Amino acid sequence: MRNLTRRSILGAGTVMGAGLLTGGFPRFAGAQAKEITVTAFGGVWEEAVRTCFVAPFEQKTGAKANVSLGGPPQWLAQVEADPQDPPVDVLIMTPDLALSAAKADLVDDFTVANLPNLAKTPQELTDSVAGKGTIFDYGVGGITFNKETVSQPPKSFHEFVDRVSKGEFVASVPSISYAVTPIMLIWAMAKALGGGVDNVDPFFEAMAKMKDNLVFWGAPNDFFNQMSSGEADVGIYFDGRTWNHYDSGATWIDFLNPEEGGSLNGVAVQKPKNADPLAWTYINEILDARNQEKFADIMNYGVTNTDVKYSEKLNGRITPWQKTAFPPYEEIAKVRNDWVDRWNREIGR
Amino acid sequence: MTEFTLPIAPRRRARPLAMRSVYLIAPAALFLLFFFVLPLADNAMRSFVDEATGAFTLARYAALLTDPFYLRIMGETVLLSAGVTVISLIIGYPVAYFLVRKAGRWSALVIFLLIAPLLTSIIMRTFGWQVLFARKGLVNNLLVNQLGLLEQPLRLTNSVEITIAALVHVLVPLMVLSITSVLQGIDRRLEESAQILGANRLRTFWEVTLPLSLDGIGTGAILVFMIANGSFVTLVLLGGGLQTLPLMIYQQFNTTRDFGMASAMSMILLVIAIACLWLQLRIVRRRGA
Repeated sequence: MRNLTRRSILGAGTVMGAGLLTGGFPRFAGAQAKEITVTAFGGVWEEAVRTCFVAPFEQKTGAKANVSLGGPPQWLAQVEADPQDPPVDVLIMTPDLALSAAKADLVDDFTVANLPNLAKTPQELTDSVAGKGTIFDYGVGGITFNKETVSQPPKSFHEFVDRVSKGEFVASVPSISYAVTPIMLIWAMAKALGGGVDNVDPFFEAMAKMKDNLVFWGAPNDFFNQMSSGEADVGIYFDGRTWNHYDSGATWIDFLNPEEGGSLNGVAVQKPKNADPLAWTYINEILDARNQEKFADIMNYGVTNTDVKYSEKLNGRITPWQKTAFPPYEEIAKVRNDWVDRWNREIGR
Repeated sequence: MTEFTLPIAPRRRARPLAMRSVYLIAPAALFLLFFFVLPLADNAMRSFVDEATGAFTLARYAALLTDPFYLRIMGETVLLSAGVTVISLIIGYPVAYFLVRKAGRWSALVIFLLIAPLLTSIIMRTFGWQVLFARKGLVNNLLVNQLGLLEQPLRLTNSVEITIAALVHVLVPLMVLSITSVLQGIDRRLEESAQILGANRLRTFWEVTLPLSLDGIGTGAILVFMIANGSFVTLVLLGGGLQTLPLMIYQQFNTTRDFGMASAMSMILLVIAIACLWLQLRIVRRRGA
């Protein structure tokens, strides 16, 4: 007979707690089947990743891909904290952070030997992240508008600034708390207005002119709330998200790529050094043409494999990446903090 | 087959009280040590280390404490929290007084109505403010189209006023509940004695009820101030042009990835919170609560 006393229960609890604290249980579980941890943004992104990349990977390898939800700054911080044993095996990154990871030598080189499907991805998109990753999906930061209240939308950034300054409509633009704002707004508008990485004065001058007719969005859903509640009529936003809202029933919303070219907002995939080699197989699935077609159909975003044939629905929606303004990510990364500081002092939110 | 029984444990000789107390607080102490004290210490260390060279530096604190821009942000953070606390008190005290002295059998309903907003997500509540006060929202629609009082809709969202109103909406129940619990404990005979001795109702309230409820005001003020001091979601969504330390910390992490600066800012936010807590406790104690 075995007596179950308070002391034995407390003792067992302590051992279990210590096991959980030291990560003993996950390791124990991991020893039973081959598993990797991949990354995805939340919401429809997660669904698309599971359907288009995780499912074929698991079918082909018999291994399991656990999906870690979050955002690039968080994942990069996790890899930085433990580069010898990275907690994620595949990184989904914004190009500027992908470059940070590449510079810090935290990620592996991408080669056709490891990734046969890389041969079908334009070289520029791999070069843009120093060859240590590649862009597999992209959105365009352009002009989204309510076609019921704005029958003649601004066709260019120039016209956008001019008409918002005159108070013709209220515009919603991303706030500086949104990670991509330095690229999709500051750089894109500065370039369109005659400046560039070395001169963002035209952007800040434009913002000063528009300030009485601007509202700011801190997160993408915030923009849609502002548009649907009538707080804003027009704004700087992504094509894919606009079409997602349209497909969900907001048929009053529309998007156009400004004449100067909206900024390309790419999503790069990378493999941390010391990550499970099985990650290469998963990344190869990400770069596969058929998987990307399915992904594009769900996400309404452009993809980069040259063999991809978009569905009829997407043909009129996707802007070829060559017609976007391709951001010089490396140069932007050097001055980004100065831009943020200037925004804080001059615009303030 | 192993048989499990749960016998009554033999009564053991009582351990000294201090020893038993150590066992009782050990889980909480360990939890705080691992998930609060050690991360906080790591955060503090990070704020003093130059990431490029690994050398000790005070540069971040020097920038934060001498640059007028950052000083203004700290001022806005404290002013916002203090403003929300004062408004919550002004709104909350009469509600608490009504609840204890007048609501009678309706008190349960009043308490439910009071805490009902806390049952929904803060994001939903904040979006609710946008829907109500948007340029083409309910309020502007009423003023412009239904009542014809205005020709153009007012710009109500993205303003400091709406941000404060949204924070007060979330935090005023905490103030009310803190004051209510203290008001319930006040002996009504003390107030009656004051009135028998000639004090009118206002003087009775001012010289008897209010001083006796200072403890509740202090608790409510500390709760509201602390939460407002670290509030983030409401400020991100409603903004209103306010720049506060929590927003700047998020920006340092999310946009610039300057973790050292974010750590220094968070340490300063912590010091501000502790200083304000100490000040409020001193004021409440000095008033005799």
